[in-house]
Amino acid sequence: MKKRKNGGISTTLATATCALLGTTPVSPVCAQEIDKWDFDTSLLYYGEDNERVQDASVAVLATRNFVDDRYLALGLTVDALTGATPSGAITQPVAQTFTRPSGKSTYTTPANELPLDDTFRDTRVAMTANWQQPLGRLYTFNAGASASKEFDYTHIGLNARIARDFNQRNTTISAGIALARDDIDAVGGAPVPLSPMLDVGDLANRMTTQSKDVFDVVVGVSQVLGRNTVMQLNYSYSDASGYLTDPYKIISVVDGITGNVVTRPLTPGIDGPSHEFLFESRPDDRVKQSFYGQVKHFMHGKVLDASYRYMSDDWEIESHTLDLRLRWPLGDEHYLEPHLRYYTQTEADFYTVSLVDGQMLPAYASNDYRLGNFDGITAGVKYGWKTGNGHDLSVRLELYQQRGDIPANLLVGNQAGTVSYPDLDAVIAQFSYRF
Amino acid sequence: MLLSPSSAIDSERPPRVKPNARDVELARHGKFWRVTFPAMGSPCELLLDTDDRSEVQALAGIATAEAWRIEDKFSRYISGNIVDRINTAAGTSVEVDPETAGLIDFAGLLYRLSDRRFDITSGALRKAWTFDGSDRLPDRAAVRRILRQVGWHRVDWASPVLTMPSGMQIDFGGIGKEYAVDKVAGLVREQTSSPCLVNFGGDLAVTGPPGRQDSWQVGRESLQGSTALPVGLIQLRSGALATSGDTRRYLLKDGIRYGHILDPTTGWPVDGAPASVTVAADSCVQAGMLCTLAMLRGAEAEAMLADEGVQYWCLRA
Amino acid sequence: MARWKTCVASLLAIACSTGCTSLGVEPWDRDILAKDEMQLVTDPLEVATDDHIYFSKEASSGGRGFGGGGCGCN
Repeated sequence: MKKRKNGGISTTLATATCALLGTTPVSPVCAQEIDKWDFDTSLLYYGEDNERVQDASVAVLATRNFVDDRYLALGLTVDALTGATPSGAITQPVAQTFTRPSGKSTYTTPANELPLDDTFRDTRVAMTANWQQPLGRLYTFNAGASASKEFDYTHIGLNARIARDFNQRNTTISAGIALARDDIDAVGGAPVPLSPMLDVGDLANRMTTQSKDVFDVVVGVSQVLGRNTVMQLNYSYSDASGYLTDPYKIISVVDGITGNVVTRPLTPGIDGPSHEFLFESRPDDRVKQSFYGQVKHFMHGKVLDASYRYMSDDWEIESHTLDLRLRWPLGDEHYLEPHLRYYTQTEADFYTVSLVDGQMLPAYASNDYRLGNFDGITAGVKYGWKTGNGHDLSVRLELYQQRGDIPANLLVGNQAGTVSYPDLDAVIAQFSYRF
Repeated sequence: MLLSPSSAIDSERPPRVKPNARDVELARHGKFWRVTFPAMGSPCELLLDTDDRSEVQALAGIATAEAWRIEDKFSRYISGNIVDRINTAAGTSVEVDPETAGLIDFAGLLYRLSDRRFDITSGALRKAWTFDGSDRLPDRAAVRRILRQVGWHRVDWASPVLTMPSGMQIDFGGIGKEYAVDKVAGLVREQTSSPCLVNFGGDLAVTGPPGRQDSWQVGRESLQGSTALPVGLIQLRSGALATSGDTRRYLLKDGIRYGHILDPTTGWPVDGAPASVTVAADSCVQAGMLCTLAMLRGAEAEAMLADEGVQYWCLRA
Repeated sequence: MARWKTCVASLLAIACSTGCTSLGVEPWDRDILAKDEMQLVTDPLEVATDDHIYFSKEASSGGRGFGGGGCGCN
């Protein structure tokens, strides 16, 4: 089963066949053998600078086509995560000591450094299964399940989607729902929101397993716009309810005049935090809506893939995502695909940098950088080729950069000079093999 | 649908002339309408991606009319048709119509492309060979005798006039089915934009993919000839597929397997031919002829197909 | 909320009505659209990887498909 070369016999035959049938072929042959199983595999390295998160991941997606357009896909991903992530506490001109999430020991961040929680060391195993089949002539039904397990997190989800073709299958309208149930077994127990970080050994403010439920609806239409162009439009609605707080994120309690973190009296003989920190608190419900549009356009062998997403939620976060890829063939079997992605979001209404000592506590507060105001830019390139036996290989290298701004009104006292958004630089390297 | 290998070269099919056997059936088949009817000794079907039953009926009428027209015109079992007139001309010249002339021109080209192995006058060899799995090889002298009446080079073809020595016979069995598939597919395409698959006994062509991302799925038969489990699935979005070969037709003597592909230059089976060859090409005629030419190359079948740069699937016993 | 719903409904209606009448190609003109690289998702693992990365680094997720998630990742 190979292609290429130009045989003299087949060329002669093609000409003679046209003469015999009195026509020219309307479209060239497009045939492909379906193997019993197709495997998509990938190795991923994701690494952030400054010893922040590093992730190595292996993924396998096995798909099987059956007669009559029935289809099964099984996926498995294993992630190994290490590194540190901003805890939410702000940089100080003095060293700060924190109790670890486990409540069993402390760690200290040197003066003038961003406090990072370095206890992240986790392995995540995720599985997906999907079944698709036609229902009658014009409908396609798809049902799936997903599950993942981390040391402190368990996820189970179900989804179903139905699509109907119209207009000689040039238009497809689809609707899907997904339900998920996640259990959070935070290390040491999830803290009571806005309760203080306590001494080593004191787990009085810890709760048992927390959970959240997520309900997603997606409706969409895909439309063939012409011989070279296809488009997809989606609207999605997502409602998450339950424990949406990050059990490991904290907020510094600061002096209302200076903006410095308030020191905390130490209990003699017991290790504990050097300053006042509160565990963050988020609403127990979040409704997100998004519009997504994608266009794929073929132009003289090159394929442009452009997509845009607008998202807004009732935490007052708004985001825009623009994604551009251009697949540039190099000969028959190689291609280069530059990729550019721009993302921008506004901060959540309860996003804050610190809490002022003595003031009434708000109901919700978080200094999670992911709820802040920032732009993200991804730039990268993928190089893919077909091996001699018809398998697909690709490597991609991308750089991801987050640059944020803290709104001035959130800064107290001298924070304008010392506190800044924890910018992020990360590299994404992925190797994929399809056989 | 399942693609069962058909033998292009030596199609010794039982005569089928009874007009009342020409039944057409229409039925729903999954997402498609399916039209089935017999023609050219094979079960034939159209699969139509449409909801419109009246359209299906109209297309069934057009397709069967064309299939049966070609069968009636080119079957060597029907007396009075052009093939019969040529075969009974006893050495006199016969002037043929343009369609027949086209087929003869095409056969002449194949004769050259195949180094004289594709030969529409080779049908007589079937009198000597019966591939029933036994060890009864024909008498060498008998084969030699028959070979005297085989050979396109003995025919005088000056389009549109054909003059053939008495006793020789021509047979379009090696082209007719693929030709009919392409003709029917062409007529369907003229009539409707609904995607259609035309399948005559495993030789097939499609007029377009059913749906934007979907493709027609064709099962490839296993070597054992079991139709229950295809060994593979071929997705066909456009173009055609043809299969040549029949794993159940061979002779076995002294441990040597004699496949059913006959080489008209020797009168004996081609050595080392694959059990079956499936080729994908723009048209069914091209696919079918590439199958046959590959088969006639014997052990070099795969090498030839690879050189030609076509998509193919070979099975060897 | 109500405004959103109307907006979505009219968008789908526009897409459908224009789609159902004029847009599209005949089946035999789908040779380009049928290419692997013209599918809306060409590399499902890459999409899943990116969804996962951006889910854990940004406050938005989903859009193309379901919201993703199922991880406590930081």
